[in-house]
Amino acid sequence: MADVNYSEAEKTFILHGIQDKFPCREDGRGCEDYRHMEIETGVVSNTSGSARLRLANTDILVGVKAELGVPSPEKPDSGCIEFFVDCSANATPEFEGRGGEELATEISTVLSRCYDNSGCLDLKSLCIIPKQQCWILYIDVLLLECGGNLFDAASIGVKAALYNTRIPNVTVNQEDDEMEIELSDDPYDVNRLDISSSPCIVTLSKIGHYHVVDASQKEEACCLARLMMGVTAKGTISALKKEGWGSLNPESIFDMMETGKKIGQVLNTSLLNVLEEEEKSGNKRKTVGFLK
Amino acid sequence: MPLDSRRICGPESTQSPHIFTVNKDIKSDILLNGERKDGRKLDQIRPLFLRPGLISQAKGSAYIEQNHTKVICAVYGPREVMRKEDFSMKGQLTCEFKFATFSCKKKRQHQQDAEEKDLSVQLLEALEPAVQLDKFPKAQVNVYITVLQNDGIALAASITCASLALADAGIEMYDIVVGSSARIHGDVMLVDPSEEEEYRSQDCKDVNEGKVVIGLMPSINQISALTSKGEIDFETISQAIKTCIQTCQKVYPVLQNALVNSVKTKT
Amino acid sequence: MATVDIRFVGARGKKDNIETVEEIQNLVTPGDIITTDTGFMRGHGTFMENEKLHASVAGVVERVNKLICVKPLKTRYNGEIGDVVIGRIIEVCQRRWKVETHSKLNSVLMLSSVNLPGGELRRRSEEDEKLMRHYLKEGDLISAEVQNIMGDGCLSLHTRSLKYGKLGQGTLLSISPSLIKRRKTHFHNLPCGASIILGNNGYVWISPNVNEETDNTGGYEQNLEPVPNDVRIVVARLRNSILALADHHMIIYDTSIMYAYEASLLFTVKDMLKPEVTSEIIDLIQQRMELEGT
Repeated sequence: MADVNYSEAEKTFILHGIQDKFPCREDGRGCEDYRHMEIETGVVSNTSGSARLRLANTDILVGVKAELGVPSPEKPDSGCIEFFVDCSANATPEFEGRGGEELATEISTVLSRCYDNSGCLDLKSLCIIPKQQCWILYIDVLLLECGGNLFDAASIGVKAALYNTRIPNVTVNQEDDEMEIELSDDPYDVNRLDISSSPCIVTLSKIGHYHVVDASQKEEACCLARLMMGVTAKGTISALKKEGWGSLNPESIFDMMETGKKIGQVLNTSLLNVLEEEEKSGNKRKTVGFLK
Repeated sequence: MPLDSRRICGPESTQSPHIFTVNKDIKSDILLNGERKDGRKLDQIRPLFLRPGLISQAKGSAYIEQNHTKVICAVYGPREVMRKEDFSMKGQLTCEFKFATFSCKKKRQHQQDAEEKDLSVQLLEALEPAVQLDKFPKAQVNVYITVLQNDGIALAASITCASLALADAGIEMYDIVVGSSARIHGDVMLVDPSEEEEYRSQDCKDVNEGKVVIGLMPSINQISALTSKGEIDFETISQAIKTCIQTCQKVYPVLQNALVNSVKTKT
Repeated sequence: MATVDIRFVGARGKKDNIETVEEIQNLVTPGDIITTDTGFMRGHGTFMENEKLHASVAGVVERVNKLICVKPLKTRYNGEIGDVVIGRIIEVCQRRWKVETHSKLNSVLMLSSVNLPGGELRRRSEEDEKLMRHYLKEGDLISAEVQNIMGDGCLSLHTRSLKYGKLGQGTLLSISPSLIKRRKTHFHNLPCGASIILGNNGYVWISPNVNEETDNTGGYEQNLEPVPNDVRIVVARLRNSILALADHHMIIYDTSIMYAYEASLLFTVKDMLKPEVTSEIIDLIQQRMELEGT
C-alpha cells in the first residue's frame, strides 16, 4: 500500500501515545474507538444490493449481483457466494495495472473465509432445485479511496450490501420430468437475506506492547503484526488471521481476541441499528450517492 | 509452474467420481463411539517423520511425513534480488506453496489456484518473523513447498517442514517455527486432524465446528501464524489455541533431534 | 470504552442554505477568453492564441499593471524564494538529499546548505559526505527555506538557520497550500502548549512546545522521551482544529488556529472527528471573526 517512510520520531510519538496510561492517539481517539463512519445502501440501481461505506478517508463501494447458476457438486443443495475485490487505481496510483492484486486477493480470501460456514449466511435458502439451479451471489468490493483499515471497512460494506440485497422470488413448476423456473415479474415480490448473524471483521493492530482498532495509515506503518477477526453479533468468531511480519505472544493474542470480540459485538449491533433506521426512513431520505 | 499453452488441459469442469458417492452418513460424524476412526486418542498426533537435506541441489531442504500427509520443501538463496524495484536494506523471503496435481482427492491444476496463493501468503507470514532478515540485505531467500500427498492440514505440516529446510540451509533464524492444528467438533477437540476429520463448511451445521492452525516459535514463546475457519465461540477457540501450543511444544524436540541427527550423519 | 460511530448518510445534519458568499468576480475556466486586447502581458495560467489571451486553468483572474495571471483554485505548491517549507527526505544522493515538498518536482537540499551538528562552519569534507545518512535519512522530516528555484521549477532548499532543521516528535498534516496565509513568521509557539510550523507548501507540523534557547540545535539531537499526556491532547486537538478549518476552506494562520482551538474546547478531542461538530466549531469561529473584525 501507499508506503510513506515515516521518521523514527514520528513513529515514537505514535507509539508513546498508545502506551500512555490514558491512551491518546494522534487524532485524540482511545485505543478502542472507530473513526466516523457513514453508510448508504442502495446506491447502484443495476445491482441486487449495494452499499457505500466511508470510514474517515477509506471509501468502499460494494455491489451484490444475484445470478442463476448450477450449484457446485460438493454442495448440491445450497447456493454460492463469491467475493471479488477490486483495488481501483483511483485510490492510489500504486494500484495501477496489477499493483493492487495482492491486497485484493488478501481481502477477498479473508472475507470468504469469514462467510465460509453455515451459520453466517443461510446459503441453503439460495438453492432453487438441488443439483440443478441455485442463486450465486457475486459480491464485488470496489476500493475507491484508502485511508487505513480496509479489511474492517470492506466487511462492513459487504454486510450492509447483503442487507440491502433483494432476490426475486422464483417458483418451480414441475411438468412431467421437466422443471420450469418462473421468475416473478413483480419488483416487490422479493426475498431478503438474513444477515443478523453475518460477521464483521475487526482488525487489531499491535503497536508496541498494546493494540488498537481502526488503525489509520500512519498507525499501520508503525504496526508489526495484526490480528483480523470475523466477529458475529453473538460474539462467536468465524475467522482468525494473523497478518504482518511480526509475531505475537500467546497472552497478547488472547487479550486481542477479547478486545476484538467486545468491539465486534458493538460494531455489529450499531451497524444493524443504522441499517434498520435507514430502511425506516424509507423514500423520504435524501440520497447522497457519491458526494462526500 | 508456468502455463504451457500447448498442453491440452482437458475439459475444465471434470469432477471426481467420489463426490457423488453417497457416504454422507459416514461423513456426518467424525467420531465413532467417542473415538477417532484411526484409533488415535483425541490429543494424539500422528506419527511424525522428518528428514532434512533430501534435495541435493537446493541450499536446504526437508521432508515431512505424517501418515499420509507428505510434504517436501526446498530453500534456495540467499541470492541477489534481480528486480530493482524490490530493492530493500532488509532481506526478502518468498514462499511458493503448491499441491502436486495428484496430491488431493480432487485434481489440482498446474497453476497456483486461489487457495494455494492464500496458503503461500500464510506460510510466508508464519516464517518471516523467525528469519533474521537483516542478516542478508538486498538478497532474497526462496522457499518452495510441494505437497506430495495430502491427508489433512497440509499447512501445519508445511510450516514445520519449511522451517526445518531453512535451518538446514543455514539461514539465520531466531527460532524454529512449528506448525500444528486442531479440529473443533462441538465440545471435543481433535488434535492433528486427518483429511477425513478436516473441517468442511458444507458438512457442518452447528456453531463450534471449525479448525485452527498455528505456527509457534517454542523457545521464545511467540506465535507467528494463526488462522481459523468456521464459527466458533470465544472460549472454545482460546482453548483450541492453547491445545495447539501444547502440541507444538511436544513436536519441537523431534525437530531438534532431526536437525542434530542430520549433522551427526554428515560428519 | 469502545465506541463505534456510524450512521447512514441520510441522517446527516441538514446543511442547506449554504451561506451566500460574496460573488467572486472574474472566475474563468480553461479556454475562456480573458481579453482580446494585445496590450497585456501573459502571466501564469494563461496562454496566447490568435492574439487573444485565454485562461489555461480554472480560477480567478488577477491583474498587476499590464500582467494578467489566473490563480487556480487548487494547485500543487509553486515555490517562491524565502518560503518556509516542510519536507520529507526520500533519497540520499551524492552531496544532496531529495526532499518531497508537495511540489511538482522533488526539491533538493545540498549538503553545503545544511548546518552541521554543533553549528560548525567549514567546507564539507568527504567525511561529511559519508555521514550524510547519519544526519538525515530517508523518512526524516525537515523544515527548511526555499533558497532558489531552478529552471525546471525544482526547489533548492537550505536549513542554514537554527530554527530550521530536522523535526522531532509531532504530527504532520497535509492541506492545500493555498489555504496557508503568508505571514512574517510561520513558526508559532502557541500559548496552549504546543508549537506549529505552517509550511507554505501546505504541510503543517504540530509538536510539543520547544524551548527556543536550548532546543534549537538544528534537530540533530532528538528527544525521544515520552510526551506528557496533556501536551499530547493539545497536539491532537490542534490537529483536529486545523483539519476542520481546512475542510471548510478557511484561511489558516495563528489567529484562526487559536480561535478554532478555543472554540473546540467545548467538545472532547474525539468528538471533533464528527462532521457536525466541526461545522459547529466553524460557525463559532466565523461569528467571532465577524465580531472582532479580523
